[in-house]
Amino acid sequence: MRLALALCAACGVPDVAPPLPAAGHAAPVEGGTLRFSTKDQVRTLDPSVEYDEVSAYPVHAIFDTLVDYAPGSTRIAPRLAERWTISPDGTTYTFELRPGLVYSDGSALVAGDVAYSLSRARTLPSSPFGPFLANVAEITAPSARELVIRLARPDASFLDVMAMSFTAPQRADHVAAAGDQIRREPLGAGPFVLARWDEGRVLVLAKNPRYWDAARVHLDALELHENVPRDIQFLMFQRGELDTAERLSAPDYLRVIAQPAWRPYVLTRATMNVYGVRMNVRQKPFDDRRVRQALNYALDKAHVIKLLQGAAVPSHGILPPGVFGRDDALPPYPHDPARARALLAEAGYPHGFDVELVTTSDDEADRLGQSLQYDLAQVGVRVRITEMAFASYVTAIGSPTGPAFALGTWQGDYPDPTSFLDAQFHSRMITEQNSNNDCFYANPELDALLDAARGEGDPDKRAAMYHRAERILYDDAPWIWSYHQLMTEVVQPYVRGYAPHPIWTRDYSSAWLDRSAPRSGGDSPVDRGGAP
Amino acid sequence: MIGAIARRIGWSIVVVWFVVTATFAMITAIPADPVRAMLGPHASPDTVATVRAYYCLDRGFVGQYGCFVAHLAHGELGKSARSDRAVTAIIADRIWPTAQLALAAVLLQLAIGVPLGALAAARRGRWPDRAAGLVGLIGQSAPTFVIATVLLYVAAFELGWFPIGGYGDGVLDRLHHLVLPAATLATVGVAYYARVLRGELCDALDQDYVRTARAKGLSERRVLVRHALRNALGPLVTLVGLDLGVLLGGAVVTEYIFAWPGLGREIVEAIVGKDTQLIVGVVLVSAIAIVLANLLADVVCVWLDPRLRE
Repeated sequence: MRLALALCAACGVPDVAPPLPAAGHAAPVEGGTLRFSTKDQVRTLDPSVEYDEVSAYPVHAIFDTLVDYAPGSTRIAPRLAERWTISPDGTTYTFELRPGLVYSDGSALVAGDVAYSLSRARTLPSSPFGPFLANVAEITAPSARELVIRLARPDASFLDVMAMSFTAPQRADHVAAAGDQIRREPLGAGPFVLARWDEGRVLVLAKNPRYWDAARVHLDALELHENVPRDIQFLMFQRGELDTAERLSAPDYLRVIAQPAWRPYVLTRATMNVYGVRMNVRQKPFDDRRVRQALNYALDKAHVIKLLQGAAVPSHGILPPGVFGRDDALPPYPHDPARARALLAEAGYPHGFDVELVTTSDDEADRLGQSLQYDLAQVGVRVRITEMAFASYVTAIGSPTGPAFALGTWQGDYPDPTSFLDAQFHSRMITEQNSNNDCFYANPELDALLDAARGEGDPDKRAAMYHRAERILYDDAPWIWSYHQLMTEVVQPYVRGYAPHPIWTRDYSSAWLDRSAPRSGGDSPVDRGGAP
Repeated sequence: MIGAIARRIGWSIVVVWFVVTATFAMITAIPADPVRAMLGPHASPDTVATVRAYYCLDRGFVGQYGCFVAHLAHGELGKSARSDRAVTAIIADRIWPTAQLALAAVLLQLAIGVPLGALAAARRGRWPDRAAGLVGLIGQSAPTFVIATVLLYVAAFELGWFPIGGYGDGVLDRLHHLVLPAATLATVGVAYYARVLRGELCDALDQDYVRTARAKGLSERRVLVRHALRNALGPLVTLVGLDLGVLLGGAVVTEYIFAWPGLGREIVEAIVGKDTQLIVGVVLVSAIAIVLANLLADVVCVWLDPRLRE
């Protein structure tokens, strides 16, 4: 009987309004713990090694860098560095640190610590960040508050590199003393410090009382629950055991978005990703530009986006919205099957062809695959989908003789075209194994354009060069340009002062909890409907 | 007796070695690069090469196997290429949650399955037997993910009796968190144990010694428990041994759904990311667990049945 009742509750009318309303404070309320979860686990808290999305959340909260992105924006803003100057030839960067900076243990932070972090990233065998510093000729710290970095060639994206977490100052003696344990003994100068980490379960960050910009931090603590599957995440969120939930599964997302009372608390943001199909332009039939263009005309992007519950925007190229140099006026390929058929016939495939699409298991990628299979069948191209484990997929597509037609995804490291265009389409990035340029696309005109744009100091001229580069890639179509996925996150109504960040996504450092009685320390789970 | 056990242990070591070597050979044969998967497509070929050498992944099967044996000689299992953490440390972290779950599930299976099987055998052909049969059929047919999801939704989310996943702190909280995942795993086992025991007991109850016991005037309860049950337990003990061994390797689906931080979760991620050292480490531990649990089951069988001592 009870079971029957319980099951009936599941199929009944959904809750109309959020059960835990905000208290209505206008000014930030101090204190409280914000609880969130991730599907995967945190791997390391060592910024010189950390290179995955989940580890980035705590690392960015523990470590401040000289410069960072302004809240909600892709614009560089001062952080530990008060100001900086760039020499007229664009090769010498001089950073001036704020006075009186300290680490969370109270020890002084000096410019030499940044130099140490940079050299550590270059020499540590397990660090993936060395190549980001390939252009750095010399690093010096003339005084405790001054850091000078000289580049071999001018590079307009260098400030973006300096906003990456691996450049965060670390104290050499602390790193040496921690040894192997540095991955779980972080010492930074960021808004939070590590309080507790039961690996694979929960990671707790406490407010850093010595933080230089303490006024922007209102929470007492952040609690990250690791390894929580998506569906469980939403159940916990509904019960009030989590304060935010991201990337909801389709039914949960539809349930929330269907209720007007919930809609203000569903946040979306374009981040640094792109999805599509990457073609090996050396292999038949994709060596013919007309075939590649035809497939771009064949894909109905509106349909894919519908399958993604609207949480995506169509793409005309690799640069996501918000990235410098993106030509927002360039429209994506229209859905035009007749044009696609004509181009295929012109290229010698009037009856289409059979092709294998290699993809990796990923909910969103599956939607693209299925949609593509249907759309391409309409123009005679018969797609067979093969799914691979991620490690196998990455290795396969990096080989010139590997699969010709495969899911293409790219996540930029920073919001500058160099992190997208140079990495994916410059012929310098073609290698016989593990090729970064996995379309094996080589175009001397594009190479020259990218090389010139990287060193260009005038933003307007530089933007024009990237508009031209985007146009070349649009016409040559080494990808089926599909969409940029939006990050979606739903928050409890009492979570204030927060919006997903285009680079850091879940940066809760300035969030606050608008509850009637501010709680301190470890919050106990709130009963459903228990809040006033 | 001692000679027999020594021989068993010797064979067990050979089995474990064979399993680990075969796993190693299979993983190295897969054309996938864990470093590439970890660093992502951004990393330059130089970086990939450096990191690959660091984890001993730049050599072929023989070279990697040599690395592995060298580590093993020092009591280590190498480092996970994904987290840069010692495999022994990862396993040490994960084995205890898995062991708690495995023990709880097996105890629950025995605590419910044995009485249920005995009841069914004692009331053979009557409604308790049929009811037990039906329960068994449902328990054995329902996939783990269905049971887990239903339990989670009803008992944890709607009724709020249990937490929604997680591990818990302190003894009572841990037990509270343990109930649903253990019940999920035990559902299949309860049904299976009850059926096996019922079958064995039915056989035993037809034997001459049972007739003799009844003829002596012993109560039916005493006949069942003291005479028939003891003889029927052998196959069940073997089953418990197998279950315990398998569960110690991690209950993948259950651990995933209940966010239980055990070995099962770890091995899935390791396989997807082709984290060679970690896969081999977990396989080694699982193989040892299965072999030990079987050894233990054999010893218990010998203790139960004096005829096996010769």
